[in-house]
Amino acid sequence: MTARDGQAAVELEGVGKAFGGRRVLAGVSLTVPPGGRLGIIGPAAGGKSVLLKLIAGLQRPDAGAIRVLGHDLVAAREPELAALRKRIGMLFQNYALFDFLSVADNVAFPLLHAGVAADEIDARVAARLRAVGLAGSESKMPAELSGGMKKRVGIARATVARAELVLYDEPTAGLDPVTTSKIYDLLRADQAETGSTAVVVSSDVAAVAAFADTIAMLHDGRIRWVGAAAGLFDADDLVVRSFARGEERDGAAVLSRSVEAARPAPGAWP
Amino acid sequence: MIARRPLTAIGRRALDGVDAALELGRVAVGTIVGALISYWRGPRRRGEIARQMYFIGNRSLLFVAVTLGFIGMVMVYQTCLLTTQVVDGRGQVGAQFARLLVLDVGPSLTAMMLATRVGAGIAAEIGSMKVTEQIDALRMSGVTPVDYLVVPRFLASVIMTVVLTMFGMAVAWGAGGLTGYYSFQINPRTFFDLSMVAPAHVWLGMTKAAAYGAAIPIVAGFCGLRAKGSSEGVGAATTAAVIGSSFAVLIIDFTISAIGLIIWGAGL
Repeated sequence: MTARDGQAAVELEGVGKAFGGRRVLAGVSLTVPPGGRLGIIGPAAGGKSVLLKLIAGLQRPDAGAIRVLGHDLVAAREPELAALRKRIGMLFQNYALFDFLSVADNVAFPLLHAGVAADEIDARVAARLRAVGLAGSESKMPAELSGGMKKRVGIARATVARAELVLYDEPTAGLDPVTTSKIYDLLRADQAETGSTAVVVSSDVAAVAAFADTIAMLHDGRIRWVGAAAGLFDADDLVVRSFARGEERDGAAVLSRSVEAARPAPGAWP
Repeated sequence: MIARRPLTAIGRRALDGVDAALELGRVAVGTIVGALISYWRGPRRRGEIARQMYFIGNRSLLFVAVTLGFIGMVMVYQTCLLTTQVVDGRGQVGAQFARLLVLDVGPSLTAMMLATRVGAGIAAEIGSMKVTEQIDALRMSGVTPVDYLVVPRFLASVIMTVVLTMFGMAVAWGAGGLTGYYSFQINPRTFFDLSMVAPAHVWLGMTKAAAYGAAIPIVAGFCGLRAKGSSEGVGAATTAAVIGSSFAVLIIDFTISAIGLIIWGAGL
């Protein structure tokens, strides 16, 4: 069964996770429809990356239920999870490029292990690298790339297999505004082409709000707010509004820079 | 209430220990099954086993040669000193040294050296991949990290530990012979005497070498896969790999020696 049969692509219900007695997530419930774009925002070290890894089946929850592309991740055994992961693309926060493989081999890796024919792999890798602006860098090693280039290779690897669900962990962290804009354009174009579902975790509130159709704010291990991206900056919840706008609340800076400055023109909102 | 905290800490450590033992068992079984079946089914990195054989074998040649050479010299020198103090037993030193070298000293000391160099290398490499999420990236492509990373190192290590053991024994024997000749005037024809080495000794020695070669990458791979955090976690994994691999060598030495004694008895 696939998510395209009408059920949600991602469904979390009461998900909890703790590490060494430290609670990271508690009672997290979220639903992402097929083809949807969910943005997850929240303070640093708030469990956003852990949430993505739970959705990817890389970690198991301590409590709650997770259904991804029609599979119950809590009940699934490792072989089922391994097969499911082939239908999911993931961009890791720190790129996670294989440092012993060239750029082209990194991008080709998911296809190679999905049994795709060699000439088809070559064609798709070349097309992906062109799309992320890295044509001509095929033989370079990850150590020779800048942070932005590594990020783009990571995006190419996450999307090359035309996965049904793509998870992006901080796709634009540390990148300049122009590159950030280009990367979100790329994600949008990819999604339009493949009809995939996207979940984006980002600290760049303005950029992710411009990309996603729904935003969820994770705060203190719980979902504090879920709503249309357009309503994020005017949310009723003071904590959410302050975080989104980068304003200080109770004397603590919840975001380091002003979102207003980076906020796109009204016409640019989806 | 106060007494519960230490109890909780002890309980947590005990559960962590059980969890680690089960994980080690899973890595060991996964590696052996992978080496026999699953590694050969999926796509593999071309030349990976040869690359690992080079890293484990060729890159350890000098290290093993120097260490085993000096150990051979010291052992022969000390043995000759002792044998000449009571009665002149220098004629027996070479034959007994060869027996000891084949049965225990050669395989065990070579493996101890490899546990430090190779065990640390494997744990650092896999541990770095773990903390930089490359292991998660492998899993996202449906690849089993044990199959992809541990199995080729396991196969290379089994082969190269046997080869290096034979090489190390030859170096130690030669160095011991030179020490005997120059320091105690033992005729090389008398020293290089294999009459005390039985086929059972060779079997036991080579079985130990192969078992050590199998254990080192399994223990080191397990430690690397459990690395947490950042560079500090990789350092801890590397240390654990060296200690664990050395400990595994000692346990295997004891176990195989005991099995040998049961099979061949006092004649061994």
